[in-house]
Amino acid sequence: MNFGTHNVLQGIDLDVYRGQIIGYIGPNGAGKSTTLKIMLGLLDDYEGNVEIFGENIANGDVSYKRWIGYVPENAELYDTLTAAEYLTFVGELYGMSRKEAEEKALALLTQFEMEDVFHQRISSFSKGMRQKVILVSSMLHNPDLIFLDEPLSGLDANSVMVIKDIMEQLKEQGKTIFYSSHMMDIVERISNRIVLLVNGKIAADGTFEELKEQNKEGSLEGIFNQLTGFDAHKETAEKFVQIVTGNESNG
Amino acid sequence: MDDFRSLKVLDHFRRAFEKLHIDYVMMRKILHMKFTMDGRRVPTIFNQSKESKGNQFLKSLGLYMLFSLIMIPFVFGNEIMFQMSIIYGMTMFFLMTSMIADFSVVLLDLRDTTILHTKPIHSKTINAAKFIHVLIYMVLLTGAFTLIPAIVMLFVHGISFFILFIVSICFILLFVIALTSLVYIFVLRFFSGEQLKDLINYIQIVLSIGIFVGYQIVLRAFDYTYLFKVYDFSWWHVFIPPMWFAAPYELFLLGNTDRPLIILTIIAIVVPMIAIYSYYRLMPSFERNLQKLMKNAGKPKSGKGKISLILERIVCFKKEERMFFRFAIQMMGEEREFKLKVYPSLGMALVFPFIFIYNELSYRTIEEISNGNMYLWIYFVNMVIGTIVYTLQFSSNYKGAWIFPVAGFRHPGLMYRASLKAFLVKFYVPIFLFVSIIYSYIFTSRIILDLIIIFLAAILQSLFVIHITYRGSFPFSKPFESLKQGSSNTILTFGLMFISAIFAGVHFLILQIPYGSESYLIAIVIVVSVMWKRMFKNN
Repeated sequence: MNFGTHNVLQGIDLDVYRGQIIGYIGPNGAGKSTTLKIMLGLLDDYEGNVEIFGENIANGDVSYKRWIGYVPENAELYDTLTAAEYLTFVGELYGMSRKEAEEKALALLTQFEMEDVFHQRISSFSKGMRQKVILVSSMLHNPDLIFLDEPLSGLDANSVMVIKDIMEQLKEQGKTIFYSSHMMDIVERISNRIVLLVNGKIAADGTFEELKEQNKEGSLEGIFNQLTGFDAHKETAEKFVQIVTGNESNG
Repeated sequence: MDDFRSLKVLDHFRRAFEKLHIDYVMMRKILHMKFTMDGRRVPTIFNQSKESKGNQFLKSLGLYMLFSLIMIPFVFGNEIMFQMSIIYGMTMFFLMTSMIADFSVVLLDLRDTTILHTKPIHSKTINAAKFIHVLIYMVLLTGAFTLIPAIVMLFVHGISFFILFIVSICFILLFVIALTSLVYIFVLRFFSGEQLKDLINYIQIVLSIGIFVGYQIVLRAFDYTYLFKVYDFSWWHVFIPPMWFAAPYELFLLGNTDRPLIILTIIAIVVPMIAIYSYYRLMPSFERNLQKLMKNAGKPKSGKGKISLILERIVCFKKEERMFFRFAIQMMGEEREFKLKVYPSLGMALVFPFIFIYNELSYRTIEEISNGNMYLWIYFVNMVIGTIVYTLQFSSNYKGAWIFPVAGFRHPGLMYRASLKAFLVKFYVPIFLFVSIIYSYIFTSRIILDLIIIFLAAILQSLFVIHITYRGSFPFSKPFESLKQGSSNTILTFGLMFISAIFAGVHFLILQIPYGSESYLIAIVIVVSVMWKRMFKNN
């Protein structure tokens, strides 16, 4: 896939099957979000073939999006709306009826103990509450393919556990989840396939066990460091603290 | 759920949309949501108690009706070509500026990309919603602005004149929306990232100044020092849109079938259609290129730090003040929305003082002018003070202001002073100096004393504005949304501008008194220094 004048992605060749959680990782600027955007049809001047549910997405038919859920990184919301209005609206955009969307949104938010703020404006919500609204909006319409870009940001530890279990169970139901995150320990635990993107190329693709074998590192973090060629975290940290404290020597 | 009247009207056109393969139901839902949000422009966090209800835009329509009264005098008379060109010129000026100032946000809304384009809706439908969203507001705005003149026309010139007016206004409306969007489309297409955001700024500035100057040209197109009944065509009239739309009156109502009039009439019909068609064709690529706005791939700017470093040392004496000064300069230079609000008026400040002199040249020679009091037009430069100093409170990054209390700055006084100085140094002084130099050349060095007075009056006016509008908030600490509060804000802005007029009036009176200027200078120096000390004392 070539994108624009400079190639963000080069030769991404991936086959993804039902009922998988794919940990889609890579350093900042590796092209993760770009891949997701292409699959969502937000970008269309790419070279290559993208097929979702067996259809080429460039064929002009947008109905495939009906079965996709998306949690964008730094998600924007229409935050002058109330949670109820926003979620109902999103549900309707996905083709649900207003009543169905509203009831389901309330039921889902109730699981996050947010039923009291259902009719309050999103602009008054905390970061975690906003994130929950976004998560609900991405699954309201029962999608088969879910793109999650840093879905846990701003959530407390309990909510993180809930979301992890949700992903697990959705996978059991045959849903496919594209999970993109910088939190390696979570990716390591929940993904049954990990794709590591470096400079627009796939640097590793396989289960965590396979990756461990190939790279002789004990953790995904270690594999990540190795494959992205970064081994200076200690030195960088030392330098940083030195500058903060203003000490020339290691003190 | 409450419904919007404009949407009910829109329902009548459902068939037409479906003919164009637009999902009407979906489009209506999107519009419904957009209107709901527009009714709530004020963020709740700030105004929870006294939040003004309803759509502020709709409330300001009354004010536009008031503005439209200035067109009434041009309805009467028989020099149709001239009168209608003026009326259309004003209308286009008005529509274009509000399109740029208020609806660029709608056209360039990036949230739509992630929220709407990821849904199973054809982009055609989304784009249609966007267009209709702007169109409905523009229709209301145009309606408010042309209703009274149209009724007067109906009574003065009769029904066919009236109908022709309504039809041509529709064409103008479409033309203005399409033209503005097309300009954006082209800019977005050929440029990228930061560069593009800057360019949009410049285009908005150039457009607003251009329209104003264009308006002067329309006036000039008719030598109105003598009355005429026959319209004289020149080739360059083809490039002046208000004249296209004035031509049909001569052609259809007066039966004047001169070839130029036919040409202009054809242009009036064909060009808006082409504009709308190209808009329709290019909109998808527009959406795509809109993505570029999200990227921040601009090259870092460097240099030019030296000059501001010197200036900073000249105007600020304390370390903290220098810091705030630098901060204010950077905010004013970088913030897009700020530039958008402020640059057009800066352009006007630069152009106005000369336009009046230029107009005067048709009656008098430059020698005659140079002996008079015409240099008081330089107060037009001061007119920008109200708007800009007031706008200094706002920022699109208003949330960043948390840092000030956290870092231990409790009193915004020092920041006011620094921001005020920054405004003077960055915007006011360069323009004022430029105009002053040229004025000194025209009016000779005798006006230097008066120029000093005018400069002090500018400082005094800024102090007034801060005193009236700030009420203890930090500069750059309020969201721009709270500035968009419709008519009350417009009235405030006009009031702030009017202060300059008062100063000009006082100055004019003083000039009639012997030794008036000298005593006035002393008085104003005292007032400025006392006020300056008092207002910024809590540091």
